[in-house]
Amino acid sequence: MKTKKFLLILVVLLIMVLVAACAPAEEPPPPTQGEATQEEAAPAEEVSSAEEAAPAEEAAAGFTPGGVECIAPANPGGGWDWTCRSVGQTLSDVGLVDGTVKVTNMAGGGGGVAFANVVTQQNDNDNLLVAASPATTLRLAQGQYGEFTEDDVRWIGAVGADFAVITVAADSPYETLEDLITVLQEDPGSVNFGGGSAIGGQDHMKVMVLAQAAGIDPLTLKYTPFDGGGEAMTAMLGGFVDVFPGDVSEVLGQLEAGEIQVLATLTADPMGGMLEGVPTAKEQGYDAEWIVFRGFYGPGGMSDEAYNYWVNALGQMADSPEWEEQLQQGGLEKIVRLGPEFEPFVSTQITNFRQLSRDLGLIE
Amino acid sequence: MTTNLTDRVTGVFLLLFAIWYGYRTTLFKVSFMADPVGPRVFPLGLAILMGVLSLYLIIKPDPSPVWPGSKTWIRIGLITLTFIVYAYLMVPIGFVLSTTFEITALALIFRGPPLKSIIGAFLLSAALYSLFDILLDLSLPTGSVFRGLWG
Amino acid sequence: MEILNFLFEGFAIALTPFNIAMALAGCFIGTAVGMLPGIGPVNGIVVLIPLTFALGLPPESSIIMFAGIYYGSQYGNSISAILLNVPGTSAAVMTAMEGNAMTKKGRAGPALAMSAIASFFGGTVSIVALMLFAPALSKWAIRFGPAEYFALMVFAFSTLSSLSGKNLIKGLLATMMGLMLATVGLDPVSAVDRYTFGQLKLLDGLDFVVVVIGFFAINEILRYAENIHDQEVFTKLGRVMITAKEFAMSFWTMVRGAAIGFFVGVLPGAGGTIASFVAWTTEQRLVDRQGTFGTGDIRGVAAPEAANNASANGAMIPLLTLGVPGSETTAVMLGALLGMNITPGPLFIANNPTVFWGLIASMYVGNVLLLILNLPLVGIFVRILKVPGWFLMPAVVAVSFVAVYSVNNSPFDILLMAAFGIMGYLLYKTEFPLASVILGLVLGPLMENNLRRAMSLSDGDWTYLFSSPIAIGLWIAAIASLFLPLIIKRFGAASEISKEEVN
Repeated sequence: MKTKKFLLILVVLLIMVLVAACAPAEEPPPPTQGEATQEEAAPAEEVSSAEEAAPAEEAAAGFTPGGVECIAPANPGGGWDWTCRSVGQTLSDVGLVDGTVKVTNMAGGGGGVAFANVVTQQNDNDNLLVAASPATTLRLAQGQYGEFTEDDVRWIGAVGADFAVITVAADSPYETLEDLITVLQEDPGSVNFGGGSAIGGQDHMKVMVLAQAAGIDPLTLKYTPFDGGGEAMTAMLGGFVDVFPGDVSEVLGQLEAGEIQVLATLTADPMGGMLEGVPTAKEQGYDAEWIVFRGFYGPGGMSDEAYNYWVNALGQMADSPEWEEQLQQGGLEKIVRLGPEFEPFVSTQITNFRQLSRDLGLIE
Repeated sequence: MTTNLTDRVTGVFLLLFAIWYGYRTTLFKVSFMADPVGPRVFPLGLAILMGVLSLYLIIKPDPSPVWPGSKTWIRIGLITLTFIVYAYLMVPIGFVLSTTFEITALALIFRGPPLKSIIGAFLLSAALYSLFDILLDLSLPTGSVFRGLWG
Repeated sequence: MEILNFLFEGFAIALTPFNIAMALAGCFIGTAVGMLPGIGPVNGIVVLIPLTFALGLPPESSIIMFAGIYYGSQYGNSISAILLNVPGTSAAVMTAMEGNAMTKKGRAGPALAMSAIASFFGGTVSIVALMLFAPALSKWAIRFGPAEYFALMVFAFSTLSSLSGKNLIKGLLATMMGLMLATVGLDPVSAVDRYTFGQLKLLDGLDFVVVVIGFFAINEILRYAENIHDQEVFTKLGRVMITAKEFAMSFWTMVRGAAIGFFVGVLPGAGGTIASFVAWTTEQRLVDRQGTFGTGDIRGVAAPEAANNASANGAMIPLLTLGVPGSETTAVMLGALLGMNITPGPLFIANNPTVFWGLIASMYVGNVLLLILNLPLVGIFVRILKVPGWFLMPAVVAVSFVAVYSVNNSPFDILLMAAFGIMGYLLYKTEFPLASVILGLVLGPLMENNLRRAMSLSDGDWTYLFSSPIAIGLWIAAIASLFLPLIIKRFGAASEISKEEVN
């Protein structure tokens, strides 16, 4: 009797959730299956994928994706999560993947938990993509993933990028990068840098790269880490921090309102849009660049067929208008480096990071 | 058994823990780039405070609680054992099966009727699986040993 | 007057049948995910974001639904806390403590009803505040730097003694344990790993959900093992409504709770935990004359619930006016807004009046919907307690497993949870207050990191901690809160002094 009642309640609850989930769509969200069952699953008839799906040519080359999973090595809401969700969505929108791409959030150790999981548990999974960025390569360079190295996985490609910017509050005494560097050269400890990552993390590295380019000893800089770029920027608006070395996507809102100004972009070429007219650090005589690529690696044991399929698929996807739209929504630029181009890019970057971290005494 | 032995033992345990915890701070690998306070100060302060407080607990203990008898401890041990087994079984045999086992085992420990327990356990596991995996998009293990069967 | 015009426009948007349906859907989903421990509004929103894009929903409809999920989950997470002593978020710990004590006295119905009413109250009051003061308050939030946050933490901990139960020393020791647990993992300031023993899985620290489920849910199971009842765990369910007297008694508690919650919520990162905790301790000090707080006093449910919901609305301010998400959920909402080409920031309200005022109006609507939804459901929810213990308890374990597993998709966390369950049981038996451990765990990183930030910014100058009016104010409040109980004791009638205070 009692059990029945409880089960009844459970069923009621289930129906409740179902009804709620259906209400906005008049159609339930496409069910996603676990890896094992997905193979036999018919392509999900979700709202946007089916119509324009053109079967990918590469499918003939010996690999057909099925039950594709994308691991975002962080909680929902961050860059890695965005990478997985937007790429997953676009891949299925343009028909390069049948059905949906399942996104798994596997937070921990700054991506280390996901890295270890892929290497030790899913090394032969051909249908697995893992979101990566310089946060991944920097930690690999600094040996923060334990015994694992960049050679344990296959680097598939980058499909977009965010860019580093040096920002100050609107009422800051520094109006150009020159002003800031001049002060730093005289008394490096007098400027408070505040960023969203730990000491030795991305935001810190950005300013150290810049300092190095300006001939200032990076170790003399004063850097305070906050919990994420947003908090660092708030601290700058409150006057607790002088300079916030953030990413473009983090500062757009405040930039639009004129609360902050961008002294320089750490890019190869000047940027458009709201950053029109902002010079690059390079143009101002400091050869510092920092590109926050958004890309993927796959398991080390991924077959060549699958690897080639994903390299091609990402390439095709990156050229689609759907991807342009995703990039625009995410405030990113299109930077595509794939397969044979991406692997040397990653290994050069890691070598550079390793050298830099060694120079800075962060690693031995 | 003295009436306040429990707190004394707890106090000694916490004191030893505080010493160990404080000692560990000396083993942190801190680069010379760390902030002015550094990662050691805060834990060290905690260790000292806990040490002092645990001494106080040793000196002024409360009366001991009524500890349950051996029957309860056996039950608690059994329950814990099922948790450990569950943690290792979950990925290989999948969520639905392992949870069915787990709930049945616990229900039996709690003197539930066997048949009802099994049926209830299975239905609940299946319901949870559909709720979380399908509706909420949280991946629960399907069972790696079965991968070959319908892959 | 201008505000009223905008508000009317907002209601015109929020009250279209479609948007009401959106708000209703959001409230349903929110309540459901909120009830499940460990599963928060984040999960609900993340699942729905692609759907809103795919359907091409207008931004205001999407954000109305997301907001519905957000505060619906605030209503929902008190349900499992009260009935099963399983708080789904750290903000629900106080509700669990007080509400579950009521449940054990056979007063689950009033506890649930009170929680819904207090949530409604806190939610509604804070929307008014949000509407009137959003821009001004964002300026206030900006002025909270590391020194101010540190002072706020000191203030929060200074109120701890009221949580300590019979023995203050044990309360302090419990807090120390929480703070120590909080140091496990990669130090977010200097990236040094502490107490991880080379376990990659511990690098991000102990997840709150794992600890709290172990401490509360598993502990509850082990306690049940002490004394197995053949029938249902709870025989009496109690009324499903509160009396007018109880409402009157709790009215000012809710007012204060809402005020505390709102202001704390505005600060990015502080959020519901501090809000609900400070609201509870404040009430314990101000109105608890018989020492009934912690043993099932209905005001002890009203305070944290009002505060919790008010803080959820307060947290919308930094999100919308600064573009800074104060919590994981608001971070996801930020992503959703950016995806709709809306950039939260100082210009958000001016540039997107339909979205902002539609949202405000829908919050009023949503809170009414939630109250209407939740009160009748109380009668249904309490029936869960009629399930026989031999099935209810294992069912709680199963739900806990899902919650803990889905934090990191890792069975390792289940082992951790079991360990914390045993630890929780032993601490409970030896009368260490578990809520203090949780509080230490949640607030520890905020306290340590902000102290270190302050020292880093000021080159190790300790006076920096007392250098702003806000910081000084908080230090004074902290000192006052340490001595307030003594003063009350002196002026209060001697016969009414609770046992806690004597000790």
